[in-house]
Amino acid sequence: MTKTIKWEKDFDRVLTLARAENKMVLLDFFNPL
Amino acid sequence: MGAVTYPNEKVVDFIERHMVPIQVLFDSQPLATRFNIQWTPTVITLDEEGKEHHRTVGFLSPEEFIPSLMLGVAKCHFDREKFDKAISILEDILKKHPKSDAAPEAVYVRGVSLYKSTHKADPLKEAYKRLQAEYPSSEWTKRAQPYGLL
Repeated sequence: MTKTIKWEKDFDRVLTLARAENKMVLLDFFNPL
Repeated sequence: MGAVTYPNEKVVDFIERHMVPIQVLFDSQPLATRFNIQWTPTVITLDEEGKEHHRTVGFLSPEEFIPSLMLGVAKCHFDREKFDKAISILEDILKKHPKSDAAPEAVYVRGVSLYKSTHKADPLKEAYKRLQAEYPSSEWTKRAQPYGLL
């Protein structure tokens, strides 16, 4: 089974996860068109 | 990015191990205004407080994207004066991705990190010499030129 990136959607939750997991945040702004 | 780089297995693995990823639409508020988004793709490396440390605009292949992310993480540590951690990642970039576009900046930031942690000028001069030898046409070689006079 192919692995994919598990994108978060909530910015505050991301910061909480980053603190808990001692990781940096990758913030991607995209255009679906 | 969505068609080529993000599905790449090595990219998925790197992000899973080292980053918390969030993807939002280019006009998603308040983030688009907060980070002054003018074009896509824009990829920003933030620390856990939401402070920006590194940004790229435009497509990056998997071979360029991973060292760019590594550089972003290293710059998070550098900006917070965690020079040992920054140097370790920067050396990893130079070992694993010496041909990448992130490599010349890695040489530069490594030199500055060593200078800031030792207060000796030699690493700056060595960084310039290395840039001149290995990345002669890089903008980082031009930026380091004064260090050649030390």
